[in-house]
Amino acid sequence: MQLSTHTTPSGFLLPSIHSAPPFFTQQPNPATQAIVAEQWSKLILSYARFRNMFTLRVEDAEIPGGEWDEVLRNERINRRLLPAHLASLIADMVSKNLASYDPPNQTRSVLLWWRQPDEWAEVLYQWADSTGQMNTILTFYEILDPPVPSALSGIPITVLRRAVSILTKSQRAQIISVSDGEGVRFLSRNGK
Amino acid sequence: MHRLGGVGLAAFERQQQSARSFAELSSTISQTQVENLHNQLAQFRAALSRYASTHRDAIRRDPTFRHAFQQMCSSVGVDPLAGPRKGGWWAEILGLSDWQYELGVQIVDVCVSTRERNGGLIEMGELVRLVSKLRGVGSGAVTEEDVVRSIKTLRPLGAGYEVLDVGGGKKMVRSVPRQLDEDQAVVLAVAQEEGGRVSEMLLVSRCGWTTDRARAALENMLLRDGLCWLDEQDEGDRTCYWVPSAMRWD
Repeated sequence: MQLSTHTTPSGFLLPSIHSAPPFFTQQPNPATQAIVAEQWSKLILSYARFRNMFTLRVEDAEIPGGEWDEVLRNERINRRLLPAHLASLIADMVSKNLASYDPPNQTRSVLLWWRQPDEWAEVLYQWADSTGQMNTILTFYEILDPPVPSALSGIPITVLRRAVSILTKSQRAQIISVSDGEGVRFLSRNGK
Repeated sequence: MHRLGGVGLAAFERQQQSARSFAELSSTISQTQVENLHNQLAQFRAALSRYASTHRDAIRRDPTFRHAFQQMCSSVGVDPLAGPRKGGWWAEILGLSDWQYELGVQIVDVCVSTRERNGGLIEMGELVRLVSKLRGVGSGAVTEEDVVRSIKTLRPLGAGYEVLDVGGGKKMVRSVPRQLDEDQAVVLAVAQEEGGRVSEMLLVSRCGWTTDRARAALENMLLRDGLCWLDEQDEGDRTCYWVPSAMRWD
């Protein structure tokens, strides 16, 4: 059995373990399952990053041709990830802070943190700095849909809110209520 | 009327002649370029080896430095551990050379880094291939014999490295201090032949075992030793087992 990497039609490079048939079965041996879970979470996060996706649902394992199909299914060896297995992988990712249930209080859908919240905070702050928007008030809408596309274009509002709250803790941003909702003002670090 | 290049057969000849000359010229130029590149590469390798021998101790002491250095070496195709042997060639002839120990270290490196996926059991050919890859030299440079000899030199460390004969001329290296029972050795040999895949049915028909015996052997490997992975989506047998150490990983 030769296991090799594979490039999907969308250009994502699948690791060689993705062509190993037992990779798609939940392993009864806890030590082995830990390896499987680690490999899956790595794969899921890098694919989400590649496609700029933020949500993974247990149902995605059952949607042929869906946006997760390339990863959750391997037609070349006729294997797919079963929903129950995906649910346990998701729970594992949540326990490692690589994902969080979104909306909360359910376990069928998660928000994927392929950048950790503090990394998003840095990206946000860098963006505000490099586009010269320090000390101006920006609405959340202006950040999520800027005239010039940025790394933050189209990120979920939950992610943005977490990033902003991290920045407020280090006195680098201030939440301000504006007429049509919330706004934020970025503050330069040396208090100019 | 006089035209540049002329008319008739003579012109045709002349044109062919010039095309030939251009082709010759271009091949000479590309040959010199290739030669130049070869020279540069050879010089670079020599410089790198010299660097390695002068900074040998630093490379050994500092793990991050060593890692960076090894990566650089393998990308240009240089054996990172080559260099002046401390024991001289006598030591090498007597089988006590640094080289042998160094190979041992690389074997341990490969065994430990693949342990989590193969449960501490690796096929000899695969081990040789991975060690060669790590050394960045052609696969002829390290042989199965070298590996066997190096593993013997590791014995005093008591890490339990052992070469197992699983039959059919196939050898495996075990890097966990655990005893393999006879049935497991048979399962491994069958897995080798089948490219990693084994099932109860296969063991029953191939080895004449009872279903219970086959199941017990496979369950032990799966649950107790972590030497194989379960696959519940198999077309033929519905449930089958895969031995990662018998699969070839890129």
